[in-house]
Amino acid sequence: MKGRTVHPIWIALAALLAALLLSMLVGSVSLSLVDMARVVAARLSGGEIGADLRVADTILFSLRLPRTALVALTGSALAVSGAAYQGLFRNPLADPYLIGVASGAGLGAVIVLSLRWGYDVAGLLAVPLASFSGAVLTVLMVVSLARVGRSLPVTNLLLAGVAVNSFAGALTSFLLLRSTGELRRAIAWLMGGSSMGGWQPVLAVLPYWLIGLGILMTMGHALNVMQFGDEQAQQLGLPVETTRWIIIGVSSLATAAAVSFTGIIGFVGLIVPHLLRLLVGGDYRRLLPLSLLGGAAFLLLADVLARIVMTPQELPVGIITALTGTPFFLWILRRSRSLPYWS
Amino acid sequence: MKRQSVLLSVLLLLALLVSACTSAATPAATPTASPIVMTDGLGRTVTLAQPAQRVVSLAPSNTEILFAVGAGSQVVGRDNFSNYPPEALELPGLGDFMGFSIEQIVALNPDLVLLAEIHPPELVKSLEDAGLTVYYLKNPLAMEEMYPMLITVGELTGHKAEAEALVTQLSLRVAVVQQKLANIEERPTVFYEIDGTDPSKPWTTGSGTFIDTLLEMAKAENVGRAMDSQYGQMSIEALLAADPDFILLGDANFGVTPEQVAARPGWGELTAVKEGRVLPFNDDLASRPGPRLVDGLEELARLLHGVTLP
Repeated sequence: MKGRTVHPIWIALAALLAALLLSMLVGSVSLSLVDMARVVAARLSGGEIGADLRVADTILFSLRLPRTALVALTGSALAVSGAAYQGLFRNPLADPYLIGVASGAGLGAVIVLSLRWGYDVAGLLAVPLASFSGAVLTVLMVVSLARVGRSLPVTNLLLAGVAVNSFAGALTSFLLLRSTGELRRAIAWLMGGSSMGGWQPVLAVLPYWLIGLGILMTMGHALNVMQFGDEQAQQLGLPVETTRWIIIGVSSLATAAAVSFTGIIGFVGLIVPHLLRLLVGGDYRRLLPLSLLGGAAFLLLADVLARIVMTPQELPVGIITALTGTPFFLWILRRSRSLPYWS
Repeated sequence: MKRQSVLLSVLLLLALLVSACTSAATPAATPTASPIVMTDGLGRTVTLAQPAQRVVSLAPSNTEILFAVGAGSQVVGRDNFSNYPPEALELPGLGDFMGFSIEQIVALNPDLVLLAEIHPPELVKSLEDAGLTVYYLKNPLAMEEMYPMLITVGELTGHKAEAEALVTQLSLRVAVVQQKLANIEERPTVFYEIDGTDPSKPWTTGSGTFIDTLLEMAKAENVGRAMDSQYGQMSIEALLAADPDFILLGDANFGVTPEQVAARPGWGELTAVKEGRVLPFNDDLASRPGPRLVDGLEELARLLHGVTLP
């Protein structure tokens, strides 16, 4: 038993390391391995970086490294939240955007993008702040519409989520049609193609990621018990309502923080948990940490593709995840018809 | 237990990764004798040690301005939509509004990246983070505001005298057009089509755009002004009611022809269609805030008023 639980984690860890490495090595400019090694050596030894290596150094450490870090954080936040939501809603179609994070973030971002912002701290942070608040407010709205007293029935949540999602989506479309000039930026944002680089986004996401994912990692047992249904779980001693509130709260915060800098990246939160469930089964104690590693690895690989398929143009990474995700999702559907892996 | 320790090590790894890199020093600028110091369209102070010798232009209008002031040979990279002058096409394309390759821009080692109002502030930030010098050109709202842009680009690239000569020449051409149109009383009404993919409600432009400014200067009435937005879709019914004297096909560059327009349902009733006043128009002359706006103005004077110009 022990050997089997350790095994997939190490594989996932290896996959993540490979993806991290690939994300550093591959880009629209191909650097020679020798130059990269020299830059890394110079950085590690704290020595001077020669003039001939200045470009390689900028590309590796000012461009690729912060991007790699942000993509890894985003991918893992989406995948872990997706896995937790699928367990919470006991629904294979659940993803982190189910109850309004994406539609709210999109609406917030598009509202701000339809205004003009200057080049200053407020202007640069306007979009991430607006999308983060949009996401949090939308989730709060869904939750308050769905709740009955202190309990939060799952069906109510689903229905309120669908309704609020379409409402926010309609407002977003309206603003896009009314928009003058910033349309393309908004569309790129909605497809997960945000262009903000540097370390500030990474540092801004990190606290939400650490707290959110840290808490979700302890929820494996609770999610396992919840698969028996609310009443059974309650009888088994699980505080069902409290658990539900916590999972929704931390998943929403982590997802909202992640997408506010990268734009809306679809399918990661849906595919990665399903893929892992097919490979290692439905035990959430394994599924959650594996989703963390697998989500980061998957999004990193998608981002590498986004950088090179149409070079020098960079595609919004959401297009890649959806393009690779849709066929995969259909395959899952077909497979689950013949083999009921979801129980 | 085991799971948690693995997790902990992953977190530690990532934390290390982050902390190791935030402490990295940023290279300092080297001071020189007589630097060029200018304030750009975002209010940023931009300093160049000397006129830029390797310029990356990320907007078609910027590329046209650079070549027009004589700095064409100093341009080392362009955005994918920069297609004029034809020499520009020989330069490497670096992406478009959906995403530029910052890596390839850095690899070109430019001493100046010229941006325009179509670019988001995040792009300015990303380029700055990569250690590049960025100048952001704000869109002009009138022809007179376009001239200082040319001088600015001339100063940044060491072609100030040529830029000034260009401005003199352009303002002279504008004056000739204005003089020829001075006695025109009857202003023709014009519908400027940006995109007629949906013939029941084609896209056009309202007030506050270059196209509208040029139409105004060319003594024409833009029927799109009935809309309250800069760009929008006007219904064919409103178009029939307005019944413009001319229909200009700004989408002619995308293959739309007057014959196709005549075949659209309902469009045959329009006077402009019946009388053959549906005319292709090169939208690049009206949508790019650069020296070719004057070409656009001359073209409009020719098409709408039959004026002959040199």
